[in-house]
Amino acid sequence: MEYPGEHLFIGQLGNTFTIAAFAFSFLAAGAYFMAHRTKDESYLRIGRLGFIGHSIAVIGMVATLFVMIFNQYFEYHYVWQHSNTDMPMKYIFSCFWEGIEGSFLIWTFWHVILGFVLMLRAKTYEAASMAVVGAVQFFMLSMLLGVYVFDYKIGSNPFTMLLRQHPDFIGLPIFNNPDYTSAIDGRGLNPLLQNYWMVIHPPFVLFGYATALIPFALAIAGLLRKDYIGWVKPALPWTFFGIAILGIGVLMGGAWAYESLSFGGFWAWDPVENASLVPWLTMVGAGHLMLIQRKKGVSVFTLFFMVTVTFCLVQYASLLTKSGVLGETSVHSFTDLGMTGQLAISLLFFVGLSIYLIAINFKRFPVHDKEESITSREFWMFIASLVLLVSAFVISFSTSFPVINQLLGTELAIGSDRIEYYNRWQTPFAIITALLVAVGQFLKYTKTNMSAFWKNLAISGALSLIITVAFAVGMSITNPLYLLMLFSTALAATANLDYWARILKGKMKAAGASIAHIGFGLLLLGVLISTSQSEVISTNSSLYDVSMLGDDFDNNENILLMKDDTLIMGDYFVSYRGKRAEEGFIHYEVDYMTPNKEGQLQADFTLYPFIQLNPRMGNVAEPYTKHYWNKDVYTHITYAELETPNKETEAVEHSVSLGDTIFTKTSFLVLDSLDRNPKAKFGGLTDNDIAIGAMFTLYDVDTKAHQLEPLFVLRDRQYSFTVGDSISDLGIKITFDGIDPEAEKFKFRLTEKPPEFKDFIVMKAIVFPGINILWIGIIIMGLGTLFAVIQRIRMR
Amino acid sequence: MKKSHIALIVLIAVAIGAMVTAINDSSTYADFDEAFDNPGDEFHVVGVLNKDKSTIYEPEIDPDKFMFYMLDVNNEERKIVLHRSKPQDFDRSEQIVLIGKAYGEEFHATDILLKCPSKYTEGEIEQKAEAI
Repeated sequence: MEYPGEHLFIGQLGNTFTIAAFAFSFLAAGAYFMAHRTKDESYLRIGRLGFIGHSIAVIGMVATLFVMIFNQYFEYHYVWQHSNTDMPMKYIFSCFWEGIEGSFLIWTFWHVILGFVLMLRAKTYEAASMAVVGAVQFFMLSMLLGVYVFDYKIGSNPFTMLLRQHPDFIGLPIFNNPDYTSAIDGRGLNPLLQNYWMVIHPPFVLFGYATALIPFALAIAGLLRKDYIGWVKPALPWTFFGIAILGIGVLMGGAWAYESLSFGGFWAWDPVENASLVPWLTMVGAGHLMLIQRKKGVSVFTLFFMVTVTFCLVQYASLLTKSGVLGETSVHSFTDLGMTGQLAISLLFFVGLSIYLIAINFKRFPVHDKEESITSREFWMFIASLVLLVSAFVISFSTSFPVINQLLGTELAIGSDRIEYYNRWQTPFAIITALLVAVGQFLKYTKTNMSAFWKNLAISGALSLIITVAFAVGMSITNPLYLLMLFSTALAATANLDYWARILKGKMKAAGASIAHIGFGLLLLGVLISTSQSEVISTNSSLYDVSMLGDDFDNNENILLMKDDTLIMGDYFVSYRGKRAEEGFIHYEVDYMTPNKEGQLQADFTLYPFIQLNPRMGNVAEPYTKHYWNKDVYTHITYAELETPNKETEAVEHSVSLGDTIFTKTSFLVLDSLDRNPKAKFGGLTDNDIAIGAMFTLYDVDTKAHQLEPLFVLRDRQYSFTVGDSISDLGIKITFDGIDPEAEKFKFRLTEKPPEFKDFIVMKAIVFPGINILWIGIIIMGLGTLFAVIQRIRMR
Repeated sequence: MKKSHIALIVLIAVAIGAMVTAINDSSTYADFDEAFDNPGDEFHVVGVLNKDKSTIYEPEIDPDKFMFYMLDVNNEERKIVLHRSKPQDFDRSEQIVLIGKAYGEEFHATDILLKCPSKYTEGEIEQKAEAI
């Protein structure tokens, strides 16, 4: 059948761009590599042309896909799968990167932008480093090809027609309509992603991932050129640029989780979160090793290792999230598109390349015979980098359990308290790192005068001690590990502030590092206070004792609020005022009140946690948070009846003998005896009626007894009728339907109305103190790092 | 031997120590047989909801208690007591992962992961509202 409504041209355009981008990346990689080998200018020109062609094609792909989503061409699988006509236009970007193909495309796009800058600035390093960029792009584009080689599908292409991706759909009635394109609608965007954070967080993290490419390309170029030191100078600002971008991107994911996911916090050590944090840690390590090497020319091997491992960890993160291997262990991994093998090959290629090049060059690495002094800055910066590496390794190891299980057939899993599981190791690492951050700037390269060093630290040390005591008393923190972390993070912030004020005399020149370190200290301080001192205030007053099952089960975290009842919760009186349904959403109104001077309750604030209704992808409860300068009150619905229950349950038939019991949902009835002559009690019966009454005693939940007597009547020996009985308070109605004389059974029909439906919600409320310290910390750290990058570039 | 080498060795030792404890502290996937043979040990059990039996959630009595019956991979059924509120989308779940321990005849779970049906339902196509 012909479908004249299909926009075939744009798909062909997209495919052409894809093939071109793939071919040009190969050309660029090959030509640049030849230019590196032969030092022939003409190869260099071909390489440049190849990369320019590649860049144009990738930008063309991005533009084509945007046009397709914007115009809602649902005849294309990607558009159909990730958007629909209901979706607000502001989420068009989220649609773009919801799928694997789109997120690969945006990542590839960032590589193009960064690669272009590298091409213009790398000078003597251009040929070798751009060959690496080309090779990376070659692998990236192969993920977007979507072509079959024999039976193996290589990549997945966002420009595939719906009917080509789903030949099984052809039988559906809609495709009998030649003009189906005017009728078809898409599947829509996952409700979790319909959030402003999701418009900016994924491209930001992918930009952060992309920044790992440039130091990697320069490091590999250094190995290829046997220039083990020279590559560091251009790589250094790139690395710190990546630290700023990826750091902000990772925490943006935390902000998204905090604002719109219901796991109650900004960090849950989810595998996908870990996958983005780990390369950041090694990137920070690599950046600081570069600083040492620029000053002292040492730790050549460690630096090569750290830079290549960062890039490989980024590739590994992509494998974890895009292969489906995480499966049920993570909330936000992609579904498997059958690209696991391909992703693994790409990762193994870069791991293998790094190991091979480091191994063949290892013997030629410059060796420093002179031992670093234990009082030197470079020694402790080296140690700090290693601490970050080990921390990254520990996180990676546990995050990789699903991968280890697949490879080794083990059945490892992280227990129910995942946060505690990770924090056990990461808290000591954080303390050590914070201490090193605090003292680092006061240490001098080569050798430090230790008495001056201690004198310098005295002010900030005293200040941190005061801060620690103040917080410890104010929040009654007694855990020694927390106190230690409190002190060390406060010291990291104050010591760097002190360094900036006293040693740098408050000048902005060269202040980037100090500012970034202040931010890092505040960030960790905010993490410590907001998580360790967060308090679930919605504890329930259940009588059910779970403590006998052990401490794990003591999670009284939810509270039931009947509409208009007021309960005490933490410092507040809370009341659920009602709900408001809006297209696709139910908003719940919860008042938080405190007594005023006259002792009357007054609403401090009202929160509107909501549930996003999505019949296909599931309903999503999203939190609502009241922000104060010093704390947040976070509230989210954990359970609510979305539908009002039926007015009356279906009649249930019972066949019982004398003395038997009938159970209902709220009570039970005993058939005590038969009343063979009920006429005296009931009017309206004639002499010709044969009537039997069934005498029931009903016991309600309070074991109060009620009497019931339904009648069975045979009139004129010809037709029968029944006179039912009911207890309206309990909503129970019973009719006597007949007698089975042989079995001596009596038949009854029972309907039960549920008690008057009461509107209620079950919710969870958490107070997060000091979480603003965390957000301020990350902003200061990001700005400080970027400032340092600009300083570096100016210094050149 | 250089000091940095000593530091390196110390850190490798820490890494190995962390790896060992990471495995020791971890839980494992198991079926009900194994979980009930080792009461009090924490396991992850994968299964499906027994839709023939009713689920019990009475938030007015205890909002942190939800009971249902689950069939594990061997089709063995157990009563589950989840010490949390009923997950909002529970009835739609295709697959359940429970994290908890066996006590007596019941499996007490502290956490639950649900796998809901994928977005793609076989042979179903949405149409624009005005087109229907």
